[in-house]
Order: sequence, then C-alpha cells, then structure tokens
Amino acid sequence: MSQEWNIVVGVKQVPDADDVSIDPDTGTLNRSDAEAVLNKPDYNAIEAALKLKEEVGGTVTAVTMGPPFAKAVLETAVGLGADDGVLLTDRAFGGSDTWPTSLALAAIAEELDADVVIAGEESTDSSTGQVPPGIAAHNDWSQLTYVEDLEPRPEDDELVAIRDIEGGHEKVAASLPVVVAVGFGMNEPRVAGLHRKIFSETEFEPKEYSASDLGIEESVGLAASPTSVGGMDTADPVERKRKMVDSVDDLVEALESEGAI
Amino acid sequence: MPGEVDTDEYEDVWVFIEQHDGEAAKVSWELLAKGRELADEKGERLIALVMGEEVSHLADEAITRGADEVLVVEDPIFEPYLPGPYGEQFRILVEERKPDIVLIGGSHTGRDFAGRVAVPTYAGLTADCTELEIEPDTHLLLAKRPTFGGDAMATIKCVDHRPQMATVRPGVFDAAEPDPDREGEVVEIECGVDESSVHSRMIERVVGDITDITDAEVIVAGGFGTDGNFGPIEDLAEVLGGEVAATREAVEEGWIEAARQVGQTGKTVKPDLYIAAGISGAIQHLEGMNDSQTIVAINDDPNAPIFDDADYGIVGDMFEILPALTEAVRARKEGEA
Repeated sequence: MSQEWNIVVGVKQVPDADDVSIDPDTGTLNRSDAEAVLNKPDYNAIEAALKLKEEVGGTVTAVTMGPPFAKAVLETAVGLGADDGVLLTDRAFGGSDTWPTSLALAAIAEELDADVVIAGEESTDSSTGQVPPGIAAHNDWSQLTYVEDLEPRPEDDELVAIRDIEGGHEKVAASLPVVVAVGFGMNEPRVAGLHRKIFSETEFEPKEYSASDLGIEESVGLAASPTSVGGMDTADPVERKRKMVDSVDDLVEALESEGAI
Repeated sequence: MPGEVDTDEYEDVWVFIEQHDGEAAKVSWELLAKGRELADEKGERLIALVMGEEVSHLADEAITRGADEVLVVEDPIFEPYLPGPYGEQFRILVEERKPDIVLIGGSHTGRDFAGRVAVPTYAGLTADCTELEIEPDTHLLLAKRPTFGGDAMATIKCVDHRPQMATVRPGVFDAAEPDPDREGEVVEIECGVDESSVHSRMIERVVGDITDITDAEVIVAGGFGTDGNFGPIEDLAEVLGGEVAATREAVEEGWIEAARQVGQTGKTVKPDLYIAAGISGAIQHLEGMNDSQTIVAINDDPNAPIFDDADYGIVGDMFEILPALTEAVRARKEGEA
C-alpha cells in the first residue's frame, strides 16, 4: 500500500432540521419546503479527513449519493479543503435504504481505491448510523465507529482510533482499508477559506457516477431495499395535567400532594 | 428481487446478548423480556445468542430470564468484542439456523455489530426502535421509531427479507425478574471463524463506573436553556436524591456526559418525578421521558411544547426557579427531620 492515503469522506444532503413539518392530511413528513444542507455530523467527518491528509499526505475525495442538486454538499466539502468530489446520481438509486446505500458507497470506495473512508456518526434525517459499518461489511474492510480521536500509523498500514463506549473508551488499531464513523462533535470543524470557497462554487464540477458505472444497477433502489415504511402515525400523547403554576411554593405544594416529593 | 428469501423457512426470535468480560449489558436482558412477548405471540421459540471467551454463566442467566434455548459460542477470538469475528460468526449462524427476528441493544457496541451483520445476511435493520409489535395477520415485525423533526412514529417493515432486525436503546423495555426454575437448552456452537476475519485489534479498553439513569426515581434534566450551566440542576437533583439528565443538544455541546442523555438516541427513563428545565420538548426527547409518573416543566418560553407534555408547568428563568425549588425542598426535608 502506498505511503500516501486515499481518503474518501462520505457526506449527505439532509433537510434542515428546523424546516421539516408533518403534512396534516397524509401524516407524512413534508421535507420539500425544507432547505437542503450538509448533514451536521459530516462537518466532523470532513475535518477528520483533512487532518488525516495533513498528517499522512494523500488526497481527500468527498462522495455523496443523491439527486443532481446534492452537488451542493460536495461544494461545501471542496470549499473546506477536499481535493475533489464525486456524485453518485441515478434514478436507480431512488428509494434505497441503508443496505443498497452502503453498497453504492462501498463500490465507489473500491473504485477510488480508498485507504480510509470517513463518515459522520449518523444523519440527522434518518439517524440510523448503519451506513458506515454497512460499507465496511460490503467490502469486508475493517470498521471503527463512534470515533473520538484518530492516530494514523502509515508505516504499519494501520489507523488507530479512540472509540467512545458506554462508561469509557476503547483504543483500537484497524488495518487499512478502514471505514471510520466519527462521533458528532469529535473535533472543531474549520471554516472554509475564501479562495477555496469561491473555487468550489464557480469552477468545481464533481465527477458523476451512475449505478451502472459501478456495476450495481440490479442491487440498488427500492426493490433492493430490505426495509420499507409501513406507515406513519402521530405519536400517542400521554395524558398530562398541563397545570400551570405561578410560584415555586405552589409547585412544591402540588408535588407534595401527589407524593412526588 | 435481489436477496429475497423463502420467508417461511425462517422462525424464532433471537436476542443478541451483548457482554464484555463476562458481564452482560443490561439492555440485553430488557430485550430478552420483550423477545419473550414477541415469541409467544408468534408461537415460536426465544433464543439467546452469547459469544465470548467464558460466558456459560450468561447462558444460564438467559434461560432464567426467558430464553428457551441459548446458543453459546466460546472462543478467545470473541473477547473483547471486535466487529470482524463477531460479524462472521453471526453470518454463519443465521445461514444455518435462519432466525425470523433478531433484537440487538442500541449501545455503541450493539449498533457497531448490527450495522456490520445486516449486510452479509441481507437483513432488514431498523435502528433505535421504541415499540416492537407483531402484525396480527402476517406475523411480520412492526418496528416503530420516532421520525425526524416531528410528532410522528414511522413503522418499518421487512417483508421479503430475513432476518428482521431491530436495535433498541437501553431502558425502552423492562427486564424480567430471573426465574431460577425456568428450563431451557444450552447449545454449544463450535467457533466457525479464524484470524482471517479479524481486521482490527484492541489496544486497550477502559471502562469506569457506568452511569445508569434508567433506574432513577427522580430525574432533573437540562437542555439548551441551561446554556451549559448545570449547577442548579445538580443541586436540585442532589436534594431530591435523584439523577441529572440532559437533552441531546446539551450532550452535543459537551456540557454533560452522553450516558445522561434522555431521548430516542439516548436513554429511556421512567422516574416517579421528571423535572425538565430549559428543555423545549422535541419529540426525540419526549420519547425518552414520557413514561415518567409526574413531569414538571420549567421554561422561560410560555409557548415551549414541553408544557403540553407536563403535569405542572412554570414559566420563568430556570436560574431563579431551580434554586428556589431546591431551597423549598431542603426546608421541607429539614422540617420533617
């Protein structure tokens, strides 16, 4: 393996969390009005990728899967310092759940000869966290999830990570190639430099790949997705007293009469 | 369609018993209790899966907690947890034994494992479920989870693929009391993986006292409105003999440890008294606390949605109300003494 690393950072365009509403008639999520933005945890992934490149050398390529306008999140990544951007775009990808999504990302990681794939912990719109380990599983690569710190060891073809676990941490050395999911807030993302930002918005054009370019057209999309949404319900509200009190004394009295304190 | 299987060949409900150094994660016992209900409803068996180096005592405990059968795979390669060997052994077991449903705890280890194994088994995996049901006519698993940004629950199904897998965060379901008289079968499985499945090595594993807020009788929780100052929350929790908790925002701001996060991606708690201060009341947070007996909301915004989900609300500055409440409770306790 080369001393310099091919670093691929997976990013996702998501509806702005503050902008999503529920359609009162259908009960489905109304994401159409929401502004599309870069998934917030992905800023940590981009930062981690750029830091790795600074330490080891190599390139950072941002990859996203989505409609043509998802190019915007690649521009954000390139503006922050990624060397290049790749857009997986094809109607065939439509309706993919995490299984085919991780397949497509695994295929492009292979195509780009990645040594390290970095992604955010989870997306803010579906928050499954399943895609990074899915990519690793499709390619039979190593995986490091909930990563709080990274230490590259290029001389050993290894990436060492501190992983957050319940009540403590693990220090794990993973062989390359490796898929990393960084913890949300694990680093302080940099601000885009002005020149790079202008370049990303004016000159940068992503390379585009279709499902058939990756040879996976039969294995993506709705039909290849094991899960489906069986319905949406409004959450059952628990009946509450909803009593407003004016003073702390009234509150203490009420809680005492209930035996709550 | 790719990966489709004969779903009739798949039966039984499996629960992955997450363990570290021979100690089971509590969420595994919670899932075993839920798995028991699902298996009874389907008229099928509940099977616990334990992997590790010396874990036979966990097999016995799994039976006392509801399993009909326990698959035990003992080998040094399974201690500590690493996704490579665990994933490959699981794939082998699923291929041989064809489980219909597999439940996995939504801990960091559990989610690392679930995401890894769902791919080679072509399973339908649903993350962070807060309700699990069996659909009466089809016997399909209905995996329910709150969806992004709103007051809605999505039901996720897996119709043509098996197994149907779900992760569930700690505290969502209650563990069953062990029944020492229960009987079940322990099946020892030969380790089917070798070093070729190991892609990583553990350099060190450091675990201190695991904070567990899921059993607390009183919880005082803070959100974005604390602006990082949890002092008044800690003071009130102390005088009430309770635990401090927080929203996801507060955890992500680095104000408080992740183990104290309440909500869909944190813990589910069911205290007698839950006091929410500076918390607006996002559905993802409510999902983790709405089984509390009595809920008190303190917020300076009279329109905060949390007031709709509270028994008692008080509008005002939490930095004035909490200390006053702490003093009032303390005074009453001293009066009693």
